[in-house]
Amino acid sequence: MKVLEEHQLYDIGERVIGAQDLDMLRENANLNGESFSGKMSKLGSEYAKWYARLRVLPPELTNAIDHGYVYVHDLDQYALGTTNCIFIPFGRLLRDGFNTGNGSVRTPQTIMSAMALVAIIFQSQQNSQFGGVSANKIDWDLAPYVARSFRKHLRKGLRLFEEEIESSLSDDELHMANPHLQEVCPRSYAFAREETETETRQAAESLIHNLNTMSSRAGGQIPFTSLNYGMCTSAEGRLVTQSLLEATIRGLGSGETPIFPQHIFQCKEGINQAEGDINYDLFLRAVECSSRRMYPNFVNVDATFNLPFYRADDPDTIIATMGCRTRTISDRFGRNRQSGKGNLSFNTINLVRLGIEYGICTGKRLTPDRDRFDARLEEVMRIAVDGLIHRYQIQTSQPAKASDFMMREGVWEGGEQLAPDDKVGGVLKHGTLSIGFIGLAECMKALYGKHHGEDDFVYREAQRIITSMRVYCDRMSEHHNLNITLFATPAEGLSGKFTLLDQRDFGIIPEVNDREYYTNSFHIPVYYTLPAARKISLEAPFHNLCNAGAISYIELDGNARNNPDAFLKIVQYALHQNIGYFSINHPVDRCTECGYEGIIGTSCPQCGTDEEHTHFQRLRRVTGYLTGDYTVRFNAAKQAEVRDRVKHK
Amino acid sequence: MNLCGYIPESLNEGYGLRSVVFISGCRHACPGCFNPESWSFRAGEPFTPQRQQEVIRDIMENPLLDGLTLCGGDPFFSAAECSQFVRDFREACPDRTVWAYTGFVYEDLLTDQERQELALLCDVIVDGRFVEQQKDLTLPFRGSRNQRLVDVKASIQAGYTVSLT
Repeated sequence: MKVLEEHQLYDIGERVIGAQDLDMLRENANLNGESFSGKMSKLGSEYAKWYARLRVLPPELTNAIDHGYVYVHDLDQYALGTTNCIFIPFGRLLRDGFNTGNGSVRTPQTIMSAMALVAIIFQSQQNSQFGGVSANKIDWDLAPYVARSFRKHLRKGLRLFEEEIESSLSDDELHMANPHLQEVCPRSYAFAREETETETRQAAESLIHNLNTMSSRAGGQIPFTSLNYGMCTSAEGRLVTQSLLEATIRGLGSGETPIFPQHIFQCKEGINQAEGDINYDLFLRAVECSSRRMYPNFVNVDATFNLPFYRADDPDTIIATMGCRTRTISDRFGRNRQSGKGNLSFNTINLVRLGIEYGICTGKRLTPDRDRFDARLEEVMRIAVDGLIHRYQIQTSQPAKASDFMMREGVWEGGEQLAPDDKVGGVLKHGTLSIGFIGLAECMKALYGKHHGEDDFVYREAQRIITSMRVYCDRMSEHHNLNITLFATPAEGLSGKFTLLDQRDFGIIPEVNDREYYTNSFHIPVYYTLPAARKISLEAPFHNLCNAGAISYIELDGNARNNPDAFLKIVQYALHQNIGYFSINHPVDRCTECGYEGIIGTSCPQCGTDEEHTHFQRLRRVTGYLTGDYTVRFNAAKQAEVRDRVKHK
Repeated sequence: MNLCGYIPESLNEGYGLRSVVFISGCRHACPGCFNPESWSFRAGEPFTPQRQQEVIRDIMENPLLDGLTLCGGDPFFSAAECSQFVRDFREACPDRTVWAYTGFVYEDLLTDQERQELALLCDVIVDGRFVEQQKDLTLPFRGSRNQRLVDVKASIQAGYTVSLT
């Protein structure tokens, strides 16, 4: 045993340092696994996985992992007790000031410093956890600092232009939308307005640059940041949204598409969805931006499963998502709002393997054995849920000082009341534990010979399976008195792993496991041709079932930036079909010679240089986020999936 | 009349999401043409009335489509048959638009009775031969700079050729 363990440890070093296993190094497209710092963190990560399996995991869970039934995401963080993702209460942190651990930070006095602090908060928080960091209403959170900048510029204007205002006017009355100011001090007002707009634009630009240049996690990776916005209707909040969109449309230093942050536009009828709505112009701008940069994505406040949480007087109840899709708004302990909590961890179930075991694809039976399928699915879900609870116990027994910034500053709400050595215990209960799934399409192929996009009966059966999973999660929530939710897993590193295990155990079964990857969650396969509207309407009902989050995509071939009309129509169609979170994928290629961005075949349409002489960057989306060049950063399974994506031209 | 291609949803041939049919046959023979296989009138499959009805039904049933685009080949070499198809389409889908691509210049289409008839059934005509020296793939919906997006209704009203703004 001892010799074997030593050998395994040695093996980890060889694979990472010698870069023998490219797919391992490319497991995560946003980590440069081939760099020194990437390898350094990979060494730690691979060792931590090895240790967790050997010493920490319940044997039943290890067994389910090894046999390809369950996948434990971020296994390297399991033994540490780290948590997944969070919506950061930016409003409160900025208002009260905060301490990063090395020094304290005052309330910012201008939008420029506020946006700089947003980047610092993101980075500080990222080191306390392993998943995404998200702002759930950044327009509301930053509006007060636009107001402060405006007041500062107005006072300067009054001095410069020797205008005067009544001394009775309070600070709160010195805001951009006050018509009285335009009357009594027109020159100062115009000056202040222009200065504030310029400053907010510059602040947004520098925020986006910051979020693409700072590294965390031992230097190997940029924080997975997301910004939700679009519903704040004050002049200040609107300016924040407008500036973020414009900075994104302009792009980074040489005009290229920023990879981070992910942008999510919050769509709500009466606020930004139709001509005459106060923020409709911002929605149109978001559509334009998305047709150039592939985001914002669009989150649906009006969806039947989101709207009940929304209260017009509390922007913290506007639905927001992590960039990937994670949704955490509901809480059995009453905190039915966004910031100050997140997802704790998730385990994903391989539906395809169960399909193969009880379906017709192996030729062992003529009709699928649905009873045994259902029973086995429940058994696997039990193992997965038990695994989440086991991990939850490790997470809750950590001292607050282990996630110092997150707890001390109350980024996770309630953490601020803990002493450094107190266990984080009960404050984590507001978060979610999620069961994910992958490969519904291939599972249906294995069971019935057709997937749920091909046949109405199979579609209903597919819905039945996912419904039963949700019912099980709800039941377990009651049983364990925790928020256990069903997740349309964002599978990246996972997309090819189950496939390999199933090929190993069952051989290659055509149309079931003969590709390099499994179709994500409940999606209609990327290689199956059908009209965009039909894909949307087939996938929509699953959004209602996956209360831990889901996303639907349409693939467009063609230069979407020439055609925002089509883009707009598709987005609104999806929202009207009760899709919770939606985005459109389209190719964004970039010529590194002349900077042309659009679709590039083998030669650049602008400067004519060809693929042999110039490297074309080809940006694609993976698990909700963008990555740099997919041909360099994607693992083999995800590269294969991109090649197979059918375009809805 | 033959059909040498059909794209049920496209972003590239006009505003909005459009269904594109490629009508076989073209005598312009522009150097650098992206699709010379479509020059033969026998290319592809017969565009039978039944197939035409299928295409029209596809569009009717697809709520995301803005309309139909005739591409080629050059549909104006099969103007009479195309006119019948577009009339059927107009009747079935009165709220959708029709675009057509042609190597003829718009003004010349109006000098021939059959071509004029088809032209007047369209909302937008992308006109003019593909000129390799003026090739510019960054232009929306066109291949070379000489080509125009002619707004047919506005042109009729104005009495001269009006391009889409």
